[in-house]
Amino acid sequence: MNQKYLQYEDKTSIFRTLWAKPSKTSSADLIHLFSDCIRAASSRTKEYLLFRDPENKFHPSPSTLSEIFLMTYVQHSSLLNLSDTFNCTAMTHEQRILLGAHWVWAVLDQPSKNPRIQIAVHVFHLPERTEDNLEDLSLDIYSDIMRMAGMAVVERTQAERMVEFCSSIGRDCYALFLFFGRQSDEGNIYGLLSNNLQAAVGKCVRIDQVFIDHFFKGAKCFATSSGMMQTLVGKEGDDPLTMLVKFT
Amino acid sequence: MELYGKMAATQDNKQKESSDQNFDYMFKLLIIGNSSVGKTSFLFRYADDTFTSAFVSTVGIDFKVKTVYKSDKRIKLQIWDTAGQERYRTITTAYYRGAMGFILMYDITNEESFAAVQDWATQIKTYSWDNAQVILAGNKCDMDEERIVSVDSGRLLAEQLGFEYFETSAKDNINVKQTFERLVDIICDKMSDTLEADPAVSTGTPTTRLSDNTTPPQQSDCSC
Ligand SMILES: Nc1nc2c(ncn2[C@@H]2O[C@H](COP(=O)(O)OP(=O)(O)O)[C@@H](O)[C@H]2O)c(=O)[nH]1
Ligand SMILES: [Mg+2]
Repeated sequence: MNQKYLQYEDKTSIFRTLWAKPSKTSSADLIHLFSDCIRAASSRTKEYLLFRDPENKFHPSPSTLSEIFLMTYVQHSSLLNLSDTFNCTAMTHEQRILLGAHWVWAVLDQPSKNPRIQIAVHVFHLPERTEDNLEDLSLDIYSDIMRMAGMAVVERTQAERMVEFCSSIGRDCYALFLFFGRQSDEGNIYGLLSNNLQAAVGKCVRIDQVFIDHFFKGAKCFATSSGMMQTLVGKEGDDPLTMLVKFT
Repeated sequence: MELYGKMAATQDNKQKESSDQNFDYMFKLLIIGNSSVGKTSFLFRYADDTFTSAFVSTVGIDFKVKTVYKSDKRIKLQIWDTAGQERYRTITTAYYRGAMGFILMYDITNEESFAAVQDWATQIKTYSWDNAQVILAGNKCDMDEERIVSVDSGRLLAEQLGFEYFETSAKDNINVKQTFERLVDIICDKMSDTLEADPAVSTGTPTTRLSDNTTPPQQSDCSC
């Protein structure tokens, strides 16, 4: 562990100066531990994404796949004692409708434990795995809830709700859209991370799976999960940031 | 485990309940107050009769639905649980609009949460409508040995702010149901006052007909 950590420090020395001083070591730990947990979660999920049974009887649903990912992540993060500095909150059913997020990761400030950086996560699945009209159903329920709450009903896709939620918090809250498999690459897990999609909400485009998938067209370079976390932890100021990540 | 601490069971009937339009009245209620005073626990105790000692800080906003009956009327309570931290202020205050009642909560073992009550009251004034009813709740009254805020100072502050007052415990289930029931009562009282005071309404039948179920009554037509 110690040795691993030292190696790690060498590789990332350029980032060291960028890190917040009081938590320099814990930032390095955090990046390292986070990517360990992600590696475990993604590779287990990948097994299921690629699973084909000869009789074609098993079709894990989108929610099952998300749960496999999250459960593996949580198992590892508690084994590694990560949840004190970087926690993971699964959204309730109601929150998934309201905020469009499936879970939210947060880097916690010590000792207040208030979130310093947040990542709201929404998972997209391959169209053949997705139950029909899930998005429409969610829109209907959302509209009913809002109407009952006496609030303006604005049509928003789940992705748009999540983007708006993130932007209501600020630039230190990122939207991460995970793709459990993409059309030409069913087994791998990709993600688009951004704190800058707000500008597009309510414009002519509809932010949904198809829209976000466009970001990947022609992309050749992807960040790793540790690269993603490094960028987030090292970032200062309110600049916009958008990056493509490959998790498997 | 932290993650699973307060994850609601996701059943299909829950989904229906949250948007089900079959009711006579709909009251939108909010629970507000500093982080960790027990807002989420209070709602879980009321809606599901459960309690967990694990602290899962609420992300942004959440809600639960509970239907109560009063004088043969179905009253649906849409109860919003808010996150207390400053970073969620934009999203939480957006939900104040149209709220008919608030439970403003502090923790009797936490001075800071009591000192913040005034600010929360100001938030209500700023973001909600004038007739919103408020109950001040001093939670965690099971922890009397660690009490810092006396019953008297709680009651006095409530009086000054014009709120009703309860000491509660989500853990030991003290005054949880009573707080919600009282809030529903004072909302109903306020509504019938408004009806009487408003000549345009009171020239009609004093007992207001139930309005079309698809448009939930907001403020002016409750006769419960
Ligand atoms: N002793 C005691 N602890 C409580 C009570 N209500 C909540 N708690 C605990 O206080 C912590 C914060 O509660 P929570 O409901 O998440 O607070 P919130 O941030 O206001 O939603 C949790 O650890 C709860 O278990 C109570 O009535 N008595
Ligand atoms: Mg809470």
